[in-house]
Amino acid sequence: MLFNILKRSFLNQKRAMAVMIVSVAVGTAIAASLLALSFDISSKVSRELRSFGANIVVQPRITGLAGVSGQKRYLREADIPKAKTIFWRHNILGVAPLLVVRDEKQNAQVLGTWYLRTIALPGEKKGFDTGASTVMPWWSIEGKWPAGDSEILAGIGIAEKKNLKIGDRVAVGGRQLRISGVLNAGGREDDMFVGELATVQLLYGLPGRISQVAVSALTTPMDDFAYKDPATMSRKEYEKWYCTGYVTSIAKQLEEVFAGSVARPIWPVAEAEGNVLSRLELLIILLTAVSLLAAALGISTTMIMSLLKRTEEVALMKGLGANTLQTVTVFLSEALLIGLAGGAVGYLLSLGISSYLGYQVFGTALEQKGMLLPISIGVSEVISVLGAYLPIRRALRIKPAIVLKGGQ
Amino acid sequence: MSFITIEKVSKEYATTRALNGVDCTIGSGEWVNIMGPSGSGKSTLLNILGGLDRPTEGIVTINSTDINRLSEDELARFRRETIGFVFQQSHLIPYLDATENVMLAQYFHSIPDRGEAEEALKRVGLGHRLRHRPAELSGGEQQRVGIARALINNPNLLLADEPTGNLDRSNTRNILELLKELHAQEKFTVVVVTHDPFVSQWARRVISMEDGRIIRDEPVRS
Ligand SMILES: Nc1ncnc2c1ncn2[C@@H]1O[C@H](COP(=O)(O)OP(=O)(O)OP(=O)(O)O)[C@@H](O)[C@H]1O
Ligand SMILES: [Mg+2]
Repeated sequence: MLFNILKRSFLNQKRAMAVMIVSVAVGTAIAASLLALSFDISSKVSRELRSFGANIVVQPRITGLAGVSGQKRYLREADIPKAKTIFWRHNILGVAPLLVVRDEKQNAQVLGTWYLRTIALPGEKKGFDTGASTVMPWWSIEGKWPAGDSEILAGIGIAEKKNLKIGDRVAVGGRQLRISGVLNAGGREDDMFVGELATVQLLYGLPGRISQVAVSALTTPMDDFAYKDPATMSRKEYEKWYCTGYVTSIAKQLEEVFAGSVARPIWPVAEAEGNVLSRLELLIILLTAVSLLAAALGISTTMIMSLLKRTEEVALMKGLGANTLQTVTVFLSEALLIGLAGGAVGYLLSLGISSYLGYQVFGTALEQKGMLLPISIGVSEVISVLGAYLPIRRALRIKPAIVLKGGQ
Repeated sequence: MSFITIEKVSKEYATTRALNGVDCTIGSGEWVNIMGPSGSGKSTLLNILGGLDRPTEGIVTINSTDINRLSEDELARFRRETIGFVFQQSHLIPYLDATENVMLAQYFHSIPDRGEAEEALKRVGLGHRLRHRPAELSGGEQQRVGIARALINNPNLLLADEPTGNLDRSNTRNILELLKELHAQEKFTVVVVTHDPFVSQWARRVISMEDGRIIRDEPVRS
């Protein structure tokens, strides 16, 4: 019977229903697309932000007398593949080993690193491409990265100071090396000689040694919980912290795989990223809320108009003995049906809107397409129930006596 | 004990006093007419009897229930279980057909039963109009649907406010004959508001009102 009432009442006011369904659909499409976008945005934007370089650095742990006597400590190059074995291994986007030594003759530092290296991962067919070119993607090299152990790059600063050009020979580590290119890194590297890690290790007699590892990792924005000191956490909290991709917990996990190391977030980078992300998310949440409210308002006004026309009908239902629950049921189910219809239309719209947004913002489609249907239906029901709230309250206030009074 | 007891009932609106100390009792199974000029408070009294409205003062007891003590939802329940209404305008829902309009009362009461609703329409002589919308029915036919709807849940009390106000003489006669027949079968109590003396011929007792008071209450000689 309820279904019959609803069906007939829908057919009886096609225009009002169409208006309500359209406003639910539009609100749903916008809100659902924005929500889908916000699910994607964290991973997409932080991936883009990762082009700003390493956000974690792993260094040798200096303890006891070693610190006092200024003794040099190193990490092991062989530990690097282990970075891809930690819990958050898929979030490790790049690792670059760095070996910095001082060349007394040149009065300059020499940096050894990988430019682009594919490391084999245990249990995986595809290797992992990494090195300075992924962790420091802004490095620009005029000329070529050194091929073999008789070549080296000059940083642009040192090249200018010593008037070095591509093809010149320079004495580094006691050997004559050819300058294969000039590096413009916009940082300390500009005043160094930069070469392949193996070459530098060989020249200075440090086989298998590295002085630090620069890591670029996708992280979850830091929240209040993330700033808690892990040492004071309960077992459960610690587990949660460890299994969330905070920059601190990823650093902790890296520390565990590099022998004798300490890993720290590079705070300015990590924090700036977190801020950008949380602001972006806030913006999207606000926009979503606004579109929800606008749609709900649309329904609310249309429903109240339709209710005004149906005042007599509501009074009659009450006269026949409909109680609060029954009155609410009639109008709420009407709203839910409108929500369902609007949600279905909104879903179709959101498919279009979200791929448009995806292409405009990121140049690729959104990854979360599958979530659009449940999100759309959920959102549209929220809109219509929200929109029905005031009309239902008004319906409940209708007094049967005033409308049904006979005689006049 | 009487079925309806009205004690010192008054109803005040912002500017008018629609009822002014009404006292009266009505026995179970009685057929009472309320007559009086326009504005004398007939509809107001009927609405209070039906639990559609509440008095400002006084006590109304129906079937041993003080209906003024009931909450809104209890009052709704009282209406669906005890009262059948017939209005001057038939107040049918325009987008439901005759049968569905009757089923609506069943729906709020308990469970809609199409067969029962059609049976009720046949009893009021509308077996051939089951699928018609209100707009496709004559005034007299609409009123019959209203009667079928009012009686579908076997109420103890039928309240009718100018049920024949929009009908011509012969239709009025038919409707009242129908009500009389149903009353004889079902033994419910009937209160009919009218200012048509013709309608009064069907009652056993006529209560006359003026300015919110009962001025006469007398049996009808048949
Ligand atoms: N909702 C209301 N607000 C204010 N005054 C009202 C209201 N309803 C009725 N009245 C007043 O109460 C008085 C009685 O009204 P009521 O409808 O009971 O009269 P009636 O006897 O049914 O008249 P009629 O024969 O015209 O139907 C009238 O003066 C009317 O104006
Ligand atoms: Mg009246």
